Amino acid sequence: MRNFILIIRKYNFFIVFLLLQGLSMYLLINNNTYQREAVVSTSNEVVGEIYSAYSDVTDYLTLGITNRLLAEENARLRRADSTSFYDSDFKLMKVNDTIGFQQYEYITAKVINNSVTKVNNYITLDAGYNKGVRKDMSVISSNGVVGIVKDVSEHFCTVMSMLNSKTRISTMIKKNGYFGSTIWSGSSPMMANLLDIPSHAKVNVGDTIVTTSFSIYPKNIMVGRVAEIGTSGESFKEIKVRLSTDFQNISYVYIVRDILKIERDTLEARTVANDQ
Amino acid sequence: MISDLFANFFRFFLLLFVQVLVLDQIEISGPVNGYFNAYLYILFLLMLPVNINRLLLLLLCFITGISIDMFTGTAGMHASACLILGLIRPGFLNLIAPREGYESTLRLTIQSMGGSTFLVYAGVLTFVHHLSLFILEAFNFLNFFDLLLRVITCSIFTMLLIVMSQVLSQRSKEVEG
Repeated sequence: MRNFILIIRKYNFFIVFLLLQGLSMYLLINNNTYQREAVVSTSNEVVGEIYSAYSDVTDYLTLGITNRLLAEENARLRRADSTSFYDSDFKLMKVNDTIGFQQYEYITAKVINNSVTKVNNYITLDAGYNKGVRKDMSVISSNGVVGIVKDVSEHFCTVMSMLNSKTRISTMIKKNGYFGSTIWSGSSPMMANLLDIPSHAKVNVGDTIVTTSFSIYPKNIMVGRVAEIGTSGESFKEIKVRLSTDFQNISYVYIVRDILKIERDTLEARTVANDQ
Repeated sequence: MISDLFANFFRFFLLLFVQVLVLDQIEISGPVNGYFNAYLYILFLLMLPVNINRLLLLLLCFITGISIDMFTGTAGMHASACLILGLIRPGFLNLIAPREGYESTLRLTIQSMGGSTFLVYAGVLTFVHHLSLFILEAFNFLNFFDLLLRVITCSIFTMLLIVMSQVLSQRSKEVEG
């Protein structure tokens, strides 16, 4: 240690020179496009392999960001998709105006907490008031329904998962339109029960179950496929549904903002109030 | 001593402004463009006291260079070249020192050093500074002889201005005196 200090004192002039020269070089290479490119291209010739290995690592480290960007892009595309538009093509109208207007908007969010093993499962997302999330918005993933927003804070929201004993989704069999409620079976995170399908309805294993427009979800969002058909009592079938969303492996979701929801809710509330 | 400090301060700013406001604005169009750039500001570093602390010298070199860089938008280039000048200045002064060494009051001007000694002193340091500056600017050795030619012509041009400014300042002192 003493020798080290002695060396430093002896060569302090040269050490200070090296330090300042290093600083100059740093500034030169970082602030001047030409010199930076010269350095990079030289390095590519000399240590191209190291450079590409390095970029492999950085690519891997930025996967998270890349994922988020892709999810955002998906949300944008989904917003532009025809299913997001309110169908204003009234058949009775003379003017055949097929230009729809936006009914649904999608907010991307990342799942930051999730459970599948409890009776009432909740999911936490990293989007809150700051991104326009409000209570009772529906949440879907690229594979199908996920749940309903139950509570919102500034930056987070909790979602009542499909895997919750209180969740009840209005669904229908896509091919023939028979509708009934889908509720979680309570045991496997993969399975749910479809109730209230009349026994005369034709159902096959593998039929697609989607949301109806009665539900809080947009219409025709995938819920799952029929896995097993049984009968309960006389008038209703007992249908087991394999959920399309893999709740055990869910990372990015879309929160759906229904632009017409307030209008619809107030109208329905007014009707009920007038009735009484 | 204090007037010396003041004189150096004054020289620093004067040369800085002359460099960025006059010399850097000169553009000679045609094939000789770039062969007649002068970097007179290094005169400040050349004229610093002979017995200046070497670390202070390096620091002043860096500050001078980075000040020029700020105006020319070439962060680090002049600073680096000036640092190399500052690195070799003490050693080179020792090399060309008279046998009995320098008097501590010696001023590094053409008048007090004598014409030939000053020309060697300033000429070599100017050449080294210009060489490192142009190498940093080109950042490769592809057209090295062309670069060398530029270093030589620019060094001559700078030296011309240095000698002229020395003679002129001497004249004005004589007139005032």
